[in-house]
Amino acid sequence: MAVDKKFIGKQYAPFVYEVGREKIKEFAKAIGETNPLYLDEEAAKKGPHGDIVAPPTFASLYAGGPVGEMLYDKELALNLMMLVHGEQDFEFFEVARAGDTMTTNCVISDISEKSGKSFVTAETMTTNQNGRPVVKARWTFVIRG
Amino acid sequence: MNFDDIKIGDAITEGKHPVGKYQPHYYAGASLDFNPIHIDPEFGKMVGLGGNILHGLCTLAFAAKTCVDYAGGDPASLKRLKARFSKPVKPLETVIVAGKIIAKEGDTATAEFGASTNKGENQVLTNGIAEFRKI
Repeated sequence: MAVDKKFIGKQYAPFVYEVGREKIKEFAKAIGETNPLYLDEEAAKKGPHGDIVAPPTFASLYAGGPVGEMLYDKELALNLMMLVHGEQDFEFFEVARAGDTMTTNCVISDISEKSGKSFVTAETMTTNQNGRPVVKARWTFVIRG
Repeated sequence: MNFDDIKIGDAITEGKHPVGKYQPHYYAGASLDFNPIHIDPEFGKMVGLGGNILHGLCTLAFAAKTCVDYAGGDPASLKRLKARFSKPVKPLETVIVAGKIIAKEGDTATAEFGASTNKGENQVLTNGIAEFRKI
C-alpha cells in the first residue's frame, strides 16, 4: 500500500537524549570496537577529547530516536513487516561526548514510489547542549511491495 | 594515516568484520532496534528475507570503524558517511569494507567505499561515500 505523500513535511517533537558513558561502551563493544577513545577512560583522558567519545554511528541512538517514532507513527501506518533500511547519510560536525545532551529535530522530507516499492525519507538535525550542530542525517526506508 | 599523507588513489585499509550468529541480537540490545526481522529467524523467513538479517546501521558501524581506523583512530576525523544498503547481511557472514580516496581539496578528503560478503560476491553496501577532515 502506497504511503500518502501528504505526510511530507510532518515534524516530530524534538527528541532529547543524554549520552551515557556506559552506553557508549556497550554500543562500542556490540559493534566489535576496540578503539580506546570509546572504551578506556584513562587512555581517552590523554587523547584528543579528554574523555571517552562515542563511535560515529552512535548517532543511531540519539539522532535515530525520533526516526523510530516516525516508523511507529500510527497515522503514517508503515508496514513494518515489509520495511528495510534503504540508505543512510550522516554528516558529522562534532564528536559526541559522555554526558552530552543531544536534541534532535526530525521531519519527513520525502515519500515516493518506484517499481512497486515505497520510499520514506526522514531528515534529522542534532545539536548538543551548547547549541552546536553535532549530526545532520538522512534516513531512507524502503517498504517492499 | 595522517591527513596530510592521504593521497588521491590511496586504498582505505580493508576492514574485515565477522558477523557472529548472535551479532544482530547484540546490536539490537545496543541500538534498541528490536525489529523481529533482525532477531527472529522464523519471522525473517516469513517475510521473505530467508532468515534474520543484520541491521543496516550495524554494517554501517563496521564501515565507520574501517574509515576511522584508516584515518588514525579519532572519530572527529570522519566528516561524512553515506551508503546504500543494497543487500542484507546474514549471521555467520563476514563483512569486508574496502574503498579508495577519490578527491582531496583543502581540509577534506573524499573516499568511495563499498562492503561485501561471501568473498566480495555479495555487495551489501554500495554508493558509499566517506569524507575525512583534517584535525
